[in-house]
Amino acid sequence: MTRYGMLIDTTLCTGCGACRAACQQQNNLDADLGFIKYAVLEQGAGAQSRASATPLQCMHCEDAPCAAVCPTGASYVGPDGLVAVEEGKCIGCLYCMAACPYQVRVRNEATGTVDKCRLCAVTTLTETTGCTCVEACPAGARVVGDLDDGNSELVRLINERGASPIAPTLSQAKLYYVR
Amino acid sequence: MTVTFESIWDFPIACYLFLAGLGAGAFLATCVIDWKNPEASRMRRAGLIIAPVAVAIGLVLLMVDARGGLYNPLRFALLLNNPGSVMSWGVVFLAVFMVVSIAALVLDLLHHRLPVALKAVGCVTAVAVGIYTGVLLGVVRAFPLWNNAVLPLLFLVSALSAGAAAVMLYGRLAARAEVEQLGFVEKLTVPLPYIEAVLLILLLAFVAGNGAAGAQSTLNLTAGSWALCFWVGIVALGLVVPAVVEGISLYRERRRPASPVASGVLAASNASVLVGGICLRFAVVTAAVPVLFL
Repeated sequence: MTRYGMLIDTTLCTGCGACRAACQQQNNLDADLGFIKYAVLEQGAGAQSRASATPLQCMHCEDAPCAAVCPTGASYVGPDGLVAVEEGKCIGCLYCMAACPYQVRVRNEATGTVDKCRLCAVTTLTETTGCTCVEACPAGARVVGDLDDGNSELVRLINERGASPIAPTLSQAKLYYVR
Repeated sequence: MTVTFESIWDFPIACYLFLAGLGAGAFLATCVIDWKNPEASRMRRAGLIIAPVAVAIGLVLLMVDARGGLYNPLRFALLLNNPGSVMSWGVVFLAVFMVVSIAALVLDLLHHRLPVALKAVGCVTAVAVGIYTGVLLGVVRAFPLWNNAVLPLLFLVSALSAGAAAVMLYGRLAARAEVEQLGFVEKLTVPLPYIEAVLLILLLAFVAGNGAAGAQSTLNLTAGSWALCFWVGIVALGLVVPAVVEGISLYRERRRPASPVASGVLAASNASVLVGGICLRFAVVTAAVPVLFL
């Protein structure tokens, strides 16, 4: 089975915003709409303190709470394991936005429907390059791949760096973080 | 990290939750009136109008707020696609309730007595609608203020209060002779604000102890931006006023018919309950903070 996932190494992330901008271009989003948001946290104290940015986006949960509450079936977990929104079915009730444990779903004000990260970066695995967050990151903080392929760079780096989902108690996320 | 969070739903959805509950409560109150005081025909008629009309206004607000559906109305036909979604159950309850309550109104307009079976189905569905408005929020694990078993009960009791208050308010303003005879209904509504107060305290106690987001939500309500809405709207207008006014009115030797002043105070108390009900839905919907995970 192919189970797409991503690694985000926040120790490399500078919070430059390139991934968000690339995502907006890739997915043709307006400037005020973005699938990636940044949680800025202060770590350490005194002279050692620093601000760290943690990019947040759809975690493509295996037990996706958004899909569970969606009344019309517009939000669903696809055969490839990716959580998706079928825009033509979405009534914009926003129930999925409330249910998302990471609060990373956004409403498209023009259509009234809900949208989010589509993990389009998986297209780079089949050599279709574009303007994805993975390609745009100048720090190389993002790696996309198949979580079920033990030989993939993704699985190797997750193991090497001890990455884990950002909040394992909230859902079974397929985005892994080094923090 | 300071918690700033823009709530997902706002006043229209709070109004929808309130009006759905009010309509359900009005139907139940009307059934009690029809059972104990079948001669109170004007109040029965008013209650049978309030029930579907309140729910219908709420549904319109819901559909206007769900803009993806508003722009493409055919998408609303997909609302039953996910039997696992509480919203899909709600659509079933609301649809059955609308059909039954409109049928009851039509029968009443045609001067037929309401069949017991119709009233029974209507009452069961009304309770389901009242509970549903709380469960809709209750299953959302991301928000501790919603994700508990107390909220559906609180919303149900508040729905009963608001529904009865709406029907009684009509009676006190427009059917004074009938409302004087409704001692039984009045007695039934007296405990409601006390039960509601206990449920509200339980809710806050559970939520305050449920992590940082729960504590923050409780603080938002009682001491933060929602403090005015909470203490004046929910507590004073929604609970204290009816608890005191209706409590005193029950145990005092009453002149029949009631003096204009007493009648006015009771009507004001009914209106006060309605304001409290709106404030409760608004505060619960907008003051909730999602679980912090970073």
